[in-house]
Amino acid sequence: MSDIHCPSCGSCGFPMESEDDFAGGNRDASYCSTCADSNGHLKPFDTVVALNADYFVRHQGIDLSAAVELARTLLQSMPAWAGKQSTLQ
Amino acid sequence: MVGIRAVQRAATRQQILEAGLELVRQSGFGKTTTGEIAKLIGKAHGTIFVHFATRDALVMEIIKAIGSGLTDHLARMSSDSFGLGQFLDAHLAVLREAEELHSALLQEMSSLPASARAYVMAMQSGVSARLGRALQVDIDKGLARPFDKVALANIWIALTNHYLLNSDLFAPGESVIVRHGAALKSQLLAIIEKEPIHV
Repeated sequence: MSDIHCPSCGSCGFPMESEDDFAGGNRDASYCSTCADSNGHLKPFDTVVALNADYFVRHQGIDLSAAVELARTLLQSMPAWAGKQSTLQ
Repeated sequence: MVGIRAVQRAATRQQILEAGLELVRQSGFGKTTTGEIAKLIGKAHGTIFVHFATRDALVMEIIKAIGSGLTDHLARMSSDSFGLGQFLDAHLAVLREAEELHSALLQEMSSLPASARAYVMAMQSGVSARLGRALQVDIDKGLARPFDKVALANIWIALTNHYLLNSDLFAPGESVIVRHGAALKSQLLAIIEKEPIHV
């Protein structure tokens, strides 16, 4: 059994395991392929909130507006987005 | 090159986190004070706030450590080729390893920072995604009937959370996962079992 430690995305905390999980497929990337573009740069905050909300909706069936609020709260607790405000409803 | 002070700083931060995890495991979040954490590692109380601006910030890091523990253990113990039964075994084993921490997190959610709930929901989404893949493996092999993946994941999460939340009622003084885990797994698998063929 290998001793796996999954680095977490610095934006959303998502565990990055396979190459595809890392932005641009680069295992040195700090962010996941959802939160950052192929160059490893973070996408705009509202976009990342929407993408994370969609993850909540797809995997737990959470109401979209509640999922947006959850995603915003989650992201704002991460160093990458501290103090960031979103206009997404 | 990383200096000695930076290494010491990182080590102290890690010590604080580990002491926090141990105290939460023993007594829950509400009864774990920063003073007790400092005492456990033999540091001055103020040292805690050199590394974590507020108690809430430390609490959130403890919760993230619980989450990354779950993620790492699931990655170590499961595989994308797993069917549902194997995945459920892995998830139960992971929950068992940190049972008191998961129970405390669920039982004390309403008094934790709002971001704690968001983090728990993110953890659950990760479990749901893995469970959905495992179900698909069984469906593709003809071992399970097609079933709504999100619904099945929510049933599993609700079941395990219910038992962890009320562990004092379902298994007083012992592990609720050890006592009831196998039954919970059987109940979930029965839902997606293919109808027996009558000839």
